[in-house]
Amino acid sequence: MTNSFLYSDTPLRWANALSRLAVWAGGALTIASVLLISFDVLARKFLGFNTGAADELSSYAFAISTSWALAFATLQRANIRVDVLYQLLPVRLSALLDWLSLVSLGVFMGFLTWYASDVVISSWTQHSASNTTLGTPLWIPQGLWCLGLLWMCVVLALMLVRASTALVTGNTSAIKELCGMRSAQEEADEEAAAGERLVQAERNEEAR
Amino acid sequence: MIATTLILLLVLIGLSLPVAAALGVLGLTLDPLFSMLPLSRAIGELSWSSNNEFLLVSIPLFVMLGEVLLRAGFAERMYGAMSLWLSWLPGGLMHANIGASTLFAATSGSSVATAATVGTVALPQIKRYGYNEPLFLGSLAAGGTLGILIPPSINLVIYGVLTNSSVPKLYLAGILPGFAMAALFILTVIIACLIKPAWGGQKIHASWGARMHSLVHLAPPLAIFLLVVGSIYAGIATPTEAAALGVLGALLLAAWFRRLSWNMLRESIEGTMRSTAMIMLIVIAANFLNFVMSATGITSALTNSISGLGLSPGWMLLVVVIFYLVLGCFMETLSMMITTIPIVAPIMIGLGYDPIWLGIVIIILVEAALITPPVGLNLFVVQSLRKAGSMNDVIIGALPFVAAMFFMLLLLALMPDLALWLPRIFA
Repeated sequence: MTNSFLYSDTPLRWANALSRLAVWAGGALTIASVLLISFDVLARKFLGFNTGAADELSSYAFAISTSWALAFATLQRANIRVDVLYQLLPVRLSALLDWLSLVSLGVFMGFLTWYASDVVISSWTQHSASNTTLGTPLWIPQGLWCLGLLWMCVVLALMLVRASTALVTGNTSAIKELCGMRSAQEEADEEAAAGERLVQAERNEEAR
Repeated sequence: MIATTLILLLVLIGLSLPVAAALGVLGLTLDPLFSMLPLSRAIGELSWSSNNEFLLVSIPLFVMLGEVLLRAGFAERMYGAMSLWLSWLPGGLMHANIGASTLFAATSGSSVATAATVGTVALPQIKRYGYNEPLFLGSLAAGGTLGILIPPSINLVIYGVLTNSSVPKLYLAGILPGFAMAALFILTVIIACLIKPAWGGQKIHASWGARMHSLVHLAPPLAIFLLVVGSIYAGIATPTEAAALGVLGALLLAAWFRRLSWNMLRESIEGTMRSTAMIMLIVIAANFLNFVMSATGITSALTNSISGLGLSPGWMLLVVVIFYLVLGCFMETLSMMITTIPIVAPIMIGLGYDPIWLGIVIIILVEAALITPPVGLNLFVVQSLRKAGSMNDVIIGALPFVAAMFFMLLLLALMPDLALWLPRIFA
């Protein structure tokens, strides 16, 4: 998908690149969890021992990878929204709702991140550690988790600046490109295209 | 209090705010309105604990399992094998659509991906064998919905977390209704094609030799199903651990079919993380909202006023069915589940319904939501694959299968054991 407006804008372009890196890092953590958990299950069954840490570590990996993926998902307009009224509205009004969506996400994420950082700080000052054999100092996973939330806030702020200028100048198509709702149609088209691509790849493989 | 809450919720959702933001902002607004204590401060601790829950780790793993299997390269051969075995029935390849969807569902937790993959393979055959187009399209859209009923299922994990019920039990409970539903879909096609033989297209003949030979192509999905579901019931693994084993198995399969590459991994990871992040943001926001609602007494007020209506369990079930049918027309299914189950489930369980049974009933209602207009994502997927023709064809074609779903609900209401028998004998 080419997105000329978004990509001509340097801060947002960097935000996009960094968010993608964060997603890959999160994906790597998830695959590491897969390997660790699988090893644990197999070792427990066949070798009679386990690391005893797979649950805990993969739970941290889960928290970190999801918070690190939030910005990417938002930049890809993957937020789930209900379009019953939205689709009936004239473009300018629906662009206003797109802007409002960013604002509401910003408010919620702001609160969440603020109090999440409280959690990290109190873990740090109280030297809280997990109640397991690992005894992980909790500020480490919580801090990394909070970092993802913070990055989401930064990206939202950048998007909001862009969207607000576009709103003031009446550039509705810019708003749509940045944060418009992906219609069910658009969503379905992409799913369908993905399905076709996969089966085509299978056919090419067989033809060889 | 209840009226304010509901009106605020409707306004926020109606404004098309992201569901997560709408729920979060509602929580933040209700707190100063109805509470003496500042509840919002708890959001940090609450979110950390829900984002750090081992059972929920299964969500990205099951999403990833589906993403990898989709790219593992056996969809077309599996469909071919299914068509050899099932296409002698009146309705021909439409049964292969349902059979392939069923088998795909047994390895994937997603309905949309199931419909997209099977649909791509199947659609060119409509013209070739002269099938009735709407019914053929409907069998694809409906077959796809089996993805969330037959384990593994992401939606059942979410239900389990929201209601504190055992996910292994829910998975066991989904198996019989899942296969029964597939059988009902097949029966629907047979009945339709007996009434109108022209709908069934030309006969396709297959030799027993070819059939036997094709069995090998059914092995990969069956192996993954046995690995994931089998390891849970052999007592070797918890649902999350089984999901991890499944992903490992899927990666090995992809490597076996020479499909494992950096590009493929990158695509799978991006798809997985995007869906997981959005699901978890809604889970976190809903978790916070539920906390605020129960701390301010809104939840119990709501539950009391609904129970106060004095409806009998049977009528209440009917109300719930209609509620989900209507809501399902407008709301995306996962956010619909996350927002409504914390209210609906306690009421129904209070009336004496079994939480496991209720979970299966709600999943079937969610499946119906996937193929009822105007917002039925599976309908859109199938329509998008065929690229031409009217959307109405798909909608009309899906209707007989919606009827089959309601017949299934009736069966479940009359014979709860359809869902509860397997969990009981394994207990």
